[in-house]
Amino acid sequence: MIDFTFSEEQDLFRKAARDFAENEVAKYVPEMEKTGKVPAGLVKAIGKAEMLAITIPEEYGGLELGYTARLIALEEISRISVATAMMLQVFALGIEPIVKFGTEEQKKKYLPGLATGEKLGTAAVTEATGGSDPTGIRTSYRKDGDDYIVNGRKCFITNSHIANTLVVLAKSDENPKDFCAFIVEKGMPGFKATHEEHKVGMKGCNTGELSFEDLRIPKANLLGQEGKGLRVTMAAIGEIGRGGMVGCALGLQAACLEESIKFANDRILYGKPISKLPEIQGKIADMRIDLEAGRLLGYRAASLQDSGTPASNEFAVAKYYTTEAAIKAAKTSVDIHGGYGCMEEYAVTRFYRDAAVLGPSAGTSAIMKVIIGRWALS
Amino acid sequence: MKIVVCVKAVPDPKEADKIRIDPETKTLMRGDVPIVLNPLDKHAVEAAVQLKRKYDATVTILSMGPPAAGNIVKECLALGADQGILLSDRAFGGADAYATAYTLAKGIEKIGEFHLIFCGMASSDGATEWVGPQVATFLGVPVVTMVNEIMDDSNDEWLVKTAWEDGHRKVAVQLPAVLTVAREINKPKSLSFSGIIKARKKEIITWSGDDLGVSPEMVGFKGSPTIVGGFGTLETGRNVEFLEGTAEEMAERLVGILSDSGAIG
Amino acid sequence: MVSCLIQGQLGEVIMMNVINSGAVWVVAEVKDASPQPVSLQLVGKARLLADTLNVSVGVVLLGENLEGAAKLFITAGADTVYLAESADLAVYQSDMYAEIIVGLVRERRPDILLLGSTYMGRELAPILAARLETGLTAHCIDLVLGDNNVLKQQIPAYGGLISILCPEKRPQMATVASGVFSTPAFDRARSGKIERIAIPVGLTTRVKTVEMVREIKEEELLESARFIVAGGAGAGDWEGWSQIRQLSDSLNAALGCTRPVVDEGWAELETMIGQSGKMVSPQFYLGVGLSGELQHMVGIKGAQIMIAINNDRKSPVFEQVDFGIVADTKTFIPVLIKKIKEHVNKQVVS
Repeated sequence: MIDFTFSEEQDLFRKAARDFAENEVAKYVPEMEKTGKVPAGLVKAIGKAEMLAITIPEEYGGLELGYTARLIALEEISRISVATAMMLQVFALGIEPIVKFGTEEQKKKYLPGLATGEKLGTAAVTEATGGSDPTGIRTSYRKDGDDYIVNGRKCFITNSHIANTLVVLAKSDENPKDFCAFIVEKGMPGFKATHEEHKVGMKGCNTGELSFEDLRIPKANLLGQEGKGLRVTMAAIGEIGRGGMVGCALGLQAACLEESIKFANDRILYGKPISKLPEIQGKIADMRIDLEAGRLLGYRAASLQDSGTPASNEFAVAKYYTTEAAIKAAKTSVDIHGGYGCMEEYAVTRFYRDAAVLGPSAGTSAIMKVIIGRWALS
Repeated sequence: MKIVVCVKAVPDPKEADKIRIDPETKTLMRGDVPIVLNPLDKHAVEAAVQLKRKYDATVTILSMGPPAAGNIVKECLALGADQGILLSDRAFGGADAYATAYTLAKGIEKIGEFHLIFCGMASSDGATEWVGPQVATFLGVPVVTMVNEIMDDSNDEWLVKTAWEDGHRKVAVQLPAVLTVAREINKPKSLSFSGIIKARKKEIITWSGDDLGVSPEMVGFKGSPTIVGGFGTLETGRNVEFLEGTAEEMAERLVGILSDSGAIG
Repeated sequence: MVSCLIQGQLGEVIMMNVINSGAVWVVAEVKDASPQPVSLQLVGKARLLADTLNVSVGVVLLGENLEGAAKLFITAGADTVYLAESADLAVYQSDMYAEIIVGLVRERRPDILLLGSTYMGRELAPILAARLETGLTAHCIDLVLGDNNVLKQQIPAYGGLISILCPEKRPQMATVASGVFSTPAFDRARSGKIERIAIPVGLTTRVKTVEMVREIKEEELLESARFIVAGGAGAGDWEGWSQIRQLSDSLNAALGCTRPVVDEGWAELETMIGQSGKMVSPQFYLGVGLSGELQHMVGIKGAQIMIAINNDRKSPVFEQVDFGIVADTKTFIPVLIKKIKEHVNKQVVS
């Protein structure tokens, strides 16, 4: 018999994460919805609650709790605020390449700060010419002595304006098959966070554009081998990025289900709560089935990741399934709310908008299917 | 300094009203209500952990409960306590507060030397407020209940503040002693990931009735001087009329009722 | 009366009465040499129980300058008042009070011992019960004589009323909050006895009240309020609780709460209404986001109109009120506040 239960310790992690989400994150949601800005207090609280240290090894100031604990934390936080979970998941996206490919000097220099929140990370790959297809990017690098000079622009980058330690992917201007990943620090001349996006959902999570103009990067900031940068960033996005989206999606699914149950038990039509109507029960069942399935897919992938086994395909399946399920759950919960589902005071309208941003993040559903198809056919 | 904190696993107070007594079998139907650490015990644990930092004390968690209560003990270790002891045995079941206090006192006797025992002043499910004073009496030490401030802890006689009808009183109590704490005494720290990791290395032991050397007549249901006699319902003689409609309509009607009856002008 | 020797849990050998025939006693309290209302109420109840049992009522009183209070307890129904007077006992001292009362109870063997659920009672009663190796029921809302004249100590729990019995051990002990029983009439013609108790020589204590401080508190808003709004766990969070407070303000009502609200830190223990909190008797009561747990509802007596707002139609609160609204508190309360303000403005204009 396979043991599908969480350990006592994992239950405690979940409790700590839920307490944090309810007591420290929830109060910022109205502000985030109104202004679309990242509250400074929220970022501080995330650092203080040790959320950033989850995937960082102990020897560099982290807690090394593993990827299952990470998924638990993201799921609980997303249930309260998808925007916050997204911000947190992308912080980890900027941490993972350094953990996996960093030199000893680089790890010592950046990881302790990233664990406390003194440094905030992100990964910058996507551009107007390549997101789903990263090889299409145009940001380029050329060598200048021991340094590299980088030119280009990135778009749709989460944490673009709040990150100060970014992992950036650039293509060689001589050989289009060569890529480099660099650690770019805020303040380096030539690097700027430029335009900020106004997303329809996940408000309060910062997304924007970055520009590099003759940005000089010292050799010490080359991450991984020269020419082999694609591997560095893909490794991060494949598991951490997709895994993070699973956490965001599961939390949103859970929130949709909870709100719908509450509303269905309150709302009286034909003299009884609508939760007595078979149609509503069917919709609630759909959401429940998707949540059960999504959790199993997500935790299975995370558990593989924890055991050191490659899991990017399993994560692709989980990412596809949960983000699509979250979009469905959001629509279903809006439907259950009837007319109230269009009113801003009802949380489900926020869920609907948040769900819209889940799909294209960390690889679209179409790309997930390509990956999964290839996996099945291999 | 050696401190013992007595904690209790209780049904989550936010969902506790789902628990009902089955009118036919007269047994408790727990439903799906999860068990959590009694809210006031968090303050007791925090008080002990603060002293641990100040005086390098050791903090032992003691709880009487079923095996599932072990998770609650673990949570207390994650909050900063050093070790945990769970008193668990079928014979302990069905205990009223007196038998519970007796069993806990026996557990503390087995632990050995102590300077201070902290308890939350009341549990959210029983709320008798007895366990602290009765543990103290069985152990032959003084007790102060509802402590909301420790004013002087620098020697063997402490000065504490506790609420009173018209204000408060200051009490000088000689250690070893039992203090039951009120919510105002501190603001407990939240559960942290690093606390949970540190708890991995901490020990939780389980003691049965045999380990304590207690006779089954003295504990659990058999050792309880009180028993549940009858169960009945409280008739209020009121029959509810539900106001229906949209929020606006219901609010309108309610205001009408309040106005007609003179509740509002 | 049959007595036998039993080894108790403290290892002592004690004498136990197997057949009920002892008196009904109250450990009473005074404030500024005047009896506390709860003590008078308990003496009144003790009198009723004692009359049915055909036994006497005893009152135990410790402190200083107690003669006047003792006489009042007699007019309220006591047959004997046991006085222990000394400067050392002027304020409550748990060790010493327990030592004196335990000695007296062991000697005179009352069948029933009652205390108020006061700050003193809540600490002293369990100490006494443990030393006397007997049972105790806290915060009773009624005391009724049952089969074999065993006292049924009634408390609310799990949606119903439970009777707790202490079938074998004696005395049967219970604590009761002020306001549960009514204050008895004073019968000036009643006679009774005052017996002075010798205080044991060399009485020491390891826990001493060194100072009693009176604090000026606001008038007891809840106990005298005409309209009470009570909020519960359904407020959800601090924001939800603030909304309920606004509602209470808009109705010019006093705001009370249930235990989970105190645990969350949204309101003070002093505003908790119920079995182990305040007993209130408003004319109008509105419960918001609470489930009607009996521990709370028994604190509300004699209201003309009771209303509840809760998001669960099946909530037990709706079995105990006159009008019910099923709604999510966070979305409904602002609408209600608006309607109230509109109504009030109309009154002002007209």
